[in-house]
Amino acid sequence: MKNYRIAWRNLWRNRRRTLITVASVFFAVFFALIMRSMQLGTYDHMYKSIIESYTGYIQVQDEDYWENRTVDNVFEETAALRQKIKEDDNVNDIIPRFESFALASSGARSKGVMVMGIDPQKELLLSNVEDRLVKYRLSEEAVKNIKSEDIPEYLEKNLDLFEGSSYSGDGRLQLDLNIKEDDEDVLMPLFREYAAVDNSYFSMGDNSALVGDRLSRYLGLERGDTIVLVGQAYHGHTAAGKYSIAGIVSMPNPELDNKLVYLPVDVCQQLYYAPGKLTSMVIHLKDNDDKAIENTIARLDDKLDSPYRVLGWKEMNSTLVQQLEADNKSGLIMIGILYLVIAFGVFGTVLMMTAERRREFGVLVAIGMQKTKLAAVMVYEMLYIGLLGILSGVAVSVPAIIYGYHNPIHFSAKLAKVWEDYGFEPVMAFQWIDDYFLSQSLVVVVIVLVAVIYPVISILKMKEVNALKA
Amino acid sequence: MITKTAWKNVWRNRTRSLVVITAVAIGIFAGVFAVAVMNGAIDQRIDSVIDNEISHIQITAKGFRTNNDLGSYIDSVANIRERISGIQEVEAVCSRLYVVGMANTARKSTGVNITGINPEQERSIFKLHKELVPGTGNYFEEDDNSGLAYIGFDLAKQLNIIRYEINEDVIEKLKSSGLPEDMLQAINEFSGTRFNNEKDFQKKMRSVLTEEQEADYGAVIRDSAQKIRDRARFILTFVDMDNHQTGGVYRLGGIYDIPNSMFESGRVFIQDNGLRDLIGFPPNTAHKIIIRLHDIDDTELVTKKLRNMYPHLEVMSWKEIQPDMAMTSDMAEAMYGIFMALILAALAFGIVNTMLMVVLERTKELGMLTAIGMNKKKVFRMIMTESVFLSLTGGVAGMIVSWIVTAFTARNGINFRSMQEGFEAMGFSAHIYPDIGLEFFLIVTVLIIITGILSSVYPALKALKLNPADALRTE
Repeated sequence: MKNYRIAWRNLWRNRRRTLITVASVFFAVFFALIMRSMQLGTYDHMYKSIIESYTGYIQVQDEDYWENRTVDNVFEETAALRQKIKEDDNVNDIIPRFESFALASSGARSKGVMVMGIDPQKELLLSNVEDRLVKYRLSEEAVKNIKSEDIPEYLEKNLDLFEGSSYSGDGRLQLDLNIKEDDEDVLMPLFREYAAVDNSYFSMGDNSALVGDRLSRYLGLERGDTIVLVGQAYHGHTAAGKYSIAGIVSMPNPELDNKLVYLPVDVCQQLYYAPGKLTSMVIHLKDNDDKAIENTIARLDDKLDSPYRVLGWKEMNSTLVQQLEADNKSGLIMIGILYLVIAFGVFGTVLMMTAERRREFGVLVAIGMQKTKLAAVMVYEMLYIGLLGILSGVAVSVPAIIYGYHNPIHFSAKLAKVWEDYGFEPVMAFQWIDDYFLSQSLVVVVIVLVAVIYPVISILKMKEVNALKA
Repeated sequence: MITKTAWKNVWRNRTRSLVVITAVAIGIFAGVFAVAVMNGAIDQRIDSVIDNEISHIQITAKGFRTNNDLGSYIDSVANIRERISGIQEVEAVCSRLYVVGMANTARKSTGVNITGINPEQERSIFKLHKELVPGTGNYFEEDDNSGLAYIGFDLAKQLNIIRYEINEDVIEKLKSSGLPEDMLQAINEFSGTRFNNEKDFQKKMRSVLTEEQEADYGAVIRDSAQKIRDRARFILTFVDMDNHQTGGVYRLGGIYDIPNSMFESGRVFIQDNGLRDLIGFPPNTAHKIIIRLHDIDDTELVTKKLRNMYPHLEVMSWKEIQPDMAMTSDMAEAMYGIFMALILAALAFGIVNTMLMVVLERTKELGMLTAIGMNKKKVFRMIMTESVFLSLTGGVAGMIVSWIVTAFTARNGINFRSMQEGFEAMGFSAHIYPDIGLEFFLIVTVLIIITGILSSVYPALKALKLNPADALRTE
C-alpha cells in the first residue's frame, strides 16, 4: 500500500484527536487570514485616500523641490517636457500643481496655510475636489434647530457628539449619526433644511478660492467672504492677493483640512510672480498597479534628466508609510505569537502520537517494515493535518473576505469619532485574496515539518526490542 | 486529596505535560510582554501630552477655544492666578498668550503658533524646558531674554536652522562610536561638505552606503553630523489687535525635542511681555491660564470648583481638551483583553488534546476508581483540577518571565529607531519603556484559570460516560 494511503487511514484511527489538532490549525489560519486581510485592506484604503486627495502616484518636480519646498525651486511648464512625459505608454494625463505657503487672514484671524494652485478640470481626474464640497454642516445653530424638531433620542446624542462636523454627502452623515434606513425619509429633510451649505466650484482664471472645512471654521469663512493671502513669492517678491470664497471642501485628512486653500493654477502663479511655472506635475496613470507604477517611475527617470526629478507616492508619503509599517509589524507580531502557540499544540499532538504507537512501530519494524517508510508515513500524516487545517481555514475565511471586500465596515457614532480624531477615515476595508494567503499556508507547512522532526528521529533511532516491550 | 492526586497526575507523563506547560508559558509571556510594550507607549504619550503640551486644567475666555479670536483674552490675570494658587489641590498656575503667525528665514517660511510665556512660571507647570537639546541654547536664561525664541526640533529642521556637516571631528567621533572602517572611508568623501537640510544629507549618504549600512548606522551618522547654525535668526510675523501686520526678529534660545512632530513643527515660545506689547494688549492679560495639580486624580473636582468660581470663563480639564487620548487608553484596555483571550483560545486546543489523551489512556484506571466507589463528581473535579494545574503552571511561569523581562527592559527602554518618524507622527515616542500594572496579571490569571476549566469540560464529560464494567476490561 502507498505511504499516503496508510497515513490517511492512520489519521482516522483517532478521529477526535485529529479533528482537534486540525481545528487548532484552522483557528490560527482563519484568524491570521482575516486579520491580514483587514490590516492590508485598511492600509490600502488609507494610502489611496491620501494619494487620491493629495500626492497622486507619481510627480515630476524640480530636483531640489522635495528637500527644500520653496517657490524658488520651481520649473517651467514647457511643451517639450509635457510631450516627453506623455509619450510614455502608461501616462494618461498631466495634472499641473503650484504649491506654496502663505499667511491667510480674514478679519482679525490669521493662520499659516498651504496654497495649492490646481487646474480645476484636470484635477478632477485625481482628487475629486468637486465631490468634496461640503453639503451639510452641523453648526451649533443647525444642531439646535434639528433638536427642536421631533427626533429620536439616539440622534440627539449623536448630534452632540458630531456637532461641528461637515459632510460632503449623505452617506457619511448617516453613518456618523447612525441614522437608520427607516428614519431616513423623515430625518434627511431636516438636515437639508437646517444644515445645508451653499457651495460652488471654480474654473481657471476665477479670482476665487476653495478652503478646507476646518480652516474655514477657524477663519470664520463662508461662501462669498474674502480671504487675504500674504507670503513669499518667486525670487524674493512679496506675494499678496485677495480672493473670494467659492466653496468649502472637506478633506479626509484633518491636517490638510486645517491648512488647505485651493486656487486656480493660473491665479496662483500670478500671486507668486511665477507665470508658466509649476512646483510639480502629478502624472495620471492608466494602470495603478504597484508594478506598473514602479516601471513607469523607472522609465520616466531614464527620460528626464536634471533639473527634473521623478517621485513615487511612497517617497512622498514616507511618514504615513512608516506609521502603517509600524502598525503592520505589530500585527505580524500578534500573528506570530498565535502561530507559536499553535506550533506547540501541533508538537504536543505529534509527541502523543509517537508515544502511543511505540509498540505498534516496534511490531511493524520487527515484521520487516522499513524504518524510512514508517517515518515517511508519519510525515504524511502530519502534512495531512496541516493541509486540512489550511483548507478549512481558507474555505471559511474566503467567503468572509469576499463579503468584506464588497462591503467594507463603516464605523458609526462613537467609534467613528475616535478614528476621525486620529485623522483616519473610519472605514475598515478588506484586502482581496492575495500573496498573504500563500505566506500563511507556508507558515503552517513549516510548523508541521518542524514538529515532525522529533518522531522521525525517534523512529529512525528506535530499538525494536525496547519498542516491543513498551 | 483530589488536588494532590491531580497535581501528581500532571507529572505522570512528564514530557507531554511539559510541552503543554511550555506552550502556555510562551504564549502568556509573549502576550503579556506585547501588552506591556503597548501600554508603556500609551502611558508615555499621556504623560508627555500633560507634561509638555496641556497640563491638567486650562481656563480661557468663552469662545476662544472655538474661534481663536485674538481679542478674546482674560483680564486681571494676576488676581485670578493668585486666587487659584490658594486652592489646596493646585500645585502651580501660569498664563500664556497665543498668536498665530508665520516664521520666516531668508529662504523659508512656515505657519506657526506663537506662544507668549513667562519662563519663570512655566518651569513649575511644564517640563518642556527639560526637553532642551543640549548645546542649542539655555531656555530664557540670558540677561536679556526678550529676543529669544524656543522652538521645536522639527521646526528647526524646516527653517534650515539645523544643518548637517561632515568634517574630521565628526569622522573621529563616528570612529570612536564603532563605525566600520569601510563606511568611514565612504563618508570621508564628503568631508568638509555642509548640507542645508536632512533630506539632502540623507540622499548623499544613501549614494555611498548600502541599505543595510544605512539601517544600522544611518541614525548614528545623522546625529553626529547635526550642527546648529550659529546665531540663527528668523522673523516672526503676525497680526496685532488692530489688524496691522507686525512682528520681530528672534534669536534661537533653544530647541526642544519631544515625541510629537505636529507640536514640534508648529509651536514657537517667546517671552510674553514683548509679545503683549507687539499685539497691543494691555498689561495683566492672557489667553489661557494653565493649572497643574498635585494629583491628576483631583482634576474633575478642581475643574468643577473653578467653573463655579469663574462662570464667565471656560474651564476645561485635560480629558475634555484631548478626548481622543482618554478614549485611546479606554479602548486599549479592551484590546489587551481581546488579545490575551485570542492567545488563550489558541492554547486551549493544545490543552483539550492533552486532557483527552489523559482520559483515554487512563480508561482502565478511571473505571477502577469508579468501581471502587469514587463518585462521578469527584472524577470530574479531578480532571478539571488537573487541567487547571496544567494551564496555571505554564501561565504563572509565563507571567514571572514577562514580569522580569518587562522590569529589565523598562530600565533602558526599547528603541524602535527605524520607525521613529511614523511613531512620532502619531504622537508616540519611538523609545518605549514597557510598563504593566499588577491588576493586569490578576486579570490574566483569572483568564488562565477559566481557560483551564473550559478546556477540561469535554475530556471530563468523556470520562464520566465511561461504563466502569467496560472500562475495566480495556487494556
